Amino acid sequence: MTAPVLTKMTKIEVVVPGSDAPAVRELIQSVGATGYTSLSGVSGLGHHGYRQGRLLFNQQAALELIITVVPEEKVDALLAGLRPLLDSSSGVMFVTETFVSRPDYFS
Amino acid sequence: MTSTSTNTGDTNTGDAGVEARRARLRTDVTLAAKVVPTHYPLETFIAVNPLAGLEGLPFEQAIRRAGDLYGMPGTLGEPAFRELYRQGRITDADLDRALTRRFPNLGADALELLRADMLHGEPAPAAKRRYHTVSENADPKVAGIVDAQTSKWCAAFFGAGAWPMPERDRGFYRAWRSLAPSDRSLPRRARTALRALPERADDAVLNALDMLGVGDGSRITHLQAHLTAMPGWAAHVAWCSGRGTPIDMLDYLAMRLSYEAVLMSGRRTAGAASAEDSGPVLASARRRAEHLLAVGGEPVAEDRVAAVSRVLAALPATSREVLWQNAFEAHYRDDVLAGLQVSDAGPADGVHTQVVTCIDTRSEGLRRHLEAVGGYETLGFAGFFAVAIRFTDLLGGAPSDLCPVLISPNHDVTEVPAWNAAAAARRVAGITGLAGAESAFHAAKESLAAPFTLAEAAGWAAAPLAAAKTLAPALSTAIRRRLRDAVAPAAPTVIDTEAMGHDEQVLFAQVALTTMGLTRGFGRIVVMCAHGSTTENNPYQASLDCGACGGQAGAPNARTAVAILNRAAVRAGLLEAGIDIPAETWFVAAQHDTAVDRVTLLDRHLIPATHTGDLDRLDRDLARAGATLAAERCEVLPGAPSGAQPARAARHVSTRSCDWAQVYPEWGLAGNAAFIVAPRSASRRMDLGRRAFLHSYEADVDIDGSALETILTAPLVVAQWINTQYYFSTVAPQVFGAGTKTIHNVVGTAGVIAGHNGDLQLGLPWQSVSDGTDLVHEPQRLMAVVQAPLERIDMIIDRNPILQQLFGNDWIAVAARENPDQPWQRWTRAGWRPWFDTDATTDVNPINTEEMVP
Repeated sequence: MTAPVLTKMTKIEVVVPGSDAPAVRELIQSVGATGYTSLSGVSGLGHHGYRQGRLLFNQQAALELIITVVPEEKVDALLAGLRPLLDSSSGVMFVTETFVSRPDYFS
Repeated sequence: MTSTSTNTGDTNTGDAGVEARRARLRTDVTLAAKVVPTHYPLETFIAVNPLAGLEGLPFEQAIRRAGDLYGMPGTLGEPAFRELYRQGRITDADLDRALTRRFPNLGADALELLRADMLHGEPAPAAKRRYHTVSENADPKVAGIVDAQTSKWCAAFFGAGAWPMPERDRGFYRAWRSLAPSDRSLPRRARTALRALPERADDAVLNALDMLGVGDGSRITHLQAHLTAMPGWAAHVAWCSGRGTPIDMLDYLAMRLSYEAVLMSGRRTAGAASAEDSGPVLASARRRAEHLLAVGGEPVAEDRVAAVSRVLAALPATSREVLWQNAFEAHYRDDVLAGLQVSDAGPADGVHTQVVTCIDTRSEGLRRHLEAVGGYETLGFAGFFAVAIRFTDLLGGAPSDLCPVLISPNHDVTEVPAWNAAAAARRVAGITGLAGAESAFHAAKESLAAPFTLAEAAGWAAAPLAAAKTLAPALSTAIRRRLRDAVAPAAPTVIDTEAMGHDEQVLFAQVALTTMGLTRGFGRIVVMCAHGSTTENNPYQASLDCGACGGQAGAPNARTAVAILNRAAVRAGLLEAGIDIPAETWFVAAQHDTAVDRVTLLDRHLIPATHTGDLDRLDRDLARAGATLAAERCEVLPGAPSGAQPARAARHVSTRSCDWAQVYPEWGLAGNAAFIVAPRSASRRMDLGRRAFLHSYEADVDIDGSALETILTAPLVVAQWINTQYYFSTVAPQVFGAGTKTIHNVVGTAGVIAGHNGDLQLGLPWQSVSDGTDLVHEPQRLMAVVQAPLERIDMIIDRNPILQQLFGNDWIAVAARENPDQPWQRWTRAGWRPWFDTDATTDVNPINTEEMVP
């Protein structure tokens, strides 16, 4: 059986307050990323203590996790925009290597 | 114009350096725009805190920062506070408490000196806008042209004129870029430069910043100077972003910066980009001491001046206004809490009907007067009644999102004929015909040649109608209503809730009833009473409707909630959850018209005949309560009869609401200052003067605190938006108020401008907060009063940063107690402290403890 060919890409995960999430999504799109996955109402423990997850009637105050996968040539631009954004808020970002089977979906 | 970036380019093929510059610019624009409020369009006018972007700062620092950015005051001025002092609204005791909270180790002599300085010191200089654009610093005439062009093009883009802006659908920047070079009011050189602008807005901004000599380090400051120069248009652009309107902040800034760059081209701008105004000059402590001694008639001896100035040096003149604000608020808050301390009334007796109203401050008046009739228990809940819906009415037009803007609607709900489809069709045809005629009339008025024909054809009717609307508004409205009823007779309808699954309906019912604390003791009738406001010729009508329903009337939400709560299957589901609603209990939808204090019962055709007597009594009692409330309101409405009997007052407010020349149809939420989360028994004996949001809450039925968490993170947040909108519309009307209604011109659905050009007006009109002579709204920050276990409140605050920010930065004060027999406690970052404790060292907020008087 032939092993599937995988292409190396970069996965960027960002956790920000819901009110900052639109700016992150706009930035991702502006550098030409082809998509993202958004998960609202995430909870967790961090620098600022425990953060409540989904709130019944407030989607803006809860944290949101946004995940995108981009080819190497788009990483620097995206990071150039994300770093100052996160410096000004309580968000975090994780950048990791990842492998995808259908690179045309991400380029 | 010189280009330092790519003029064209595809994001997929541009080089990495250019892409990084563009991405960094986009983020800088996002960060710069955080100081700009969000301005909602008129039809869904939502109250916002204009300083929401500064809520990460303590209130005192935030208003100083806003003063630097906008040149606006952050509180009333000292003369206004001193007048309140003379009126007894602020006392020496209030001032002393404010001072000792700020300076915990203050001796008696120093306290007296500082109080004297508060009362007699020379007023602090007004705040000045300190950050300017390059053109403001180097050539104010150019800055004026940039502002004028901004106003012109934004009005063209947002206006709904008969001639839309060419190429508007391609986006603001592209449309402007293709039109601006043809503007003959600009010099030829400027037009030539505009013709060479890049295709992309971000590249245009980068080019302009380079031309103006604005480096990366001062970029955000410069962008903020542009955004705060005309905050109204910028605030509406902030709303448009991501909502399908083809404009964003980059487009807007590209236009402003490109004008500035081409008009300043060839000028010396070195240093202009970083020039920062030094701010107002403050009087020295010595001069203040000399002034104070002279006012007090004391000899101005050197050693005395030195001693006094040492004390005064601890309190800069610019800090006095915030201390006045604290004292002003403390006076009201102490009165409310002292009243609540002794007002607990226990459960209501002989209840036959429960009425659930919105938490809106206007509901407090209705509830108080209805309870006075006897037999009624009232409750408060956010006016969307926990159903976040996208509603389509019988006419089938564009749906409305009826829920707080904090959330998205999660259910599509439609209004459908109850049983008689033919009657419904006739109503739809009638209303459509009337709307078409009205639309054609207005279109003819606004077109080029048709007005002449229109005057011939319809002038004979239009002129008398206009005269009738002016001279006899009530009669004119009655005639129009009869005409409408004849053309489009009412047809019974129902709310179709099929889009919500059964389990969701049960969950909704459980959450709603638990959150409002209504889980037992149901009466034969439970009314879900929404609210709206009927006024004429009022672009700000949405500001008088329900904030919890996205600035619209909440009747569809009440009807939806009632439809669910009356379903037998839902009640069976609730029974499994321990909520037993008796079979004879019937939920009824209603709507309170806050302009006339009339409550209309809705969907009467759905209520069984067994309850006809109950409904008739309810109708009578609501009319009686509404009339007495109208009489109460007439005492403070300009031009209304004072001391009027309820029936006369009811007629007056009815006429007033349909008077198209009336600029004070009602006072809305003016005066709002408290948010009480407690059973109604805690406040039922108090007249809260329509100044308090009232949210019902029973701690006993909310063991895990989820209901309280919902209340604190949603209704309280929306109430704080309303509170700060009223606050800043009052203290800073030049920047965050909409000016006088009498010169408003509506720009499409975006908002209003004062006169024929200029900035879009933010906030509320002056006639919403002042009667022309005196302030009607007393600008005070919100006090949240919570009756719940303190550890439960702590747990909720600990896991919700939004609450830590609002409470910890003094945007909201929190008072709480677990039971009515316990004293009120004040929440501080350092823990709970007795509210009325006079030992200031125990309740001081840590951010202020560093200030000590020598």
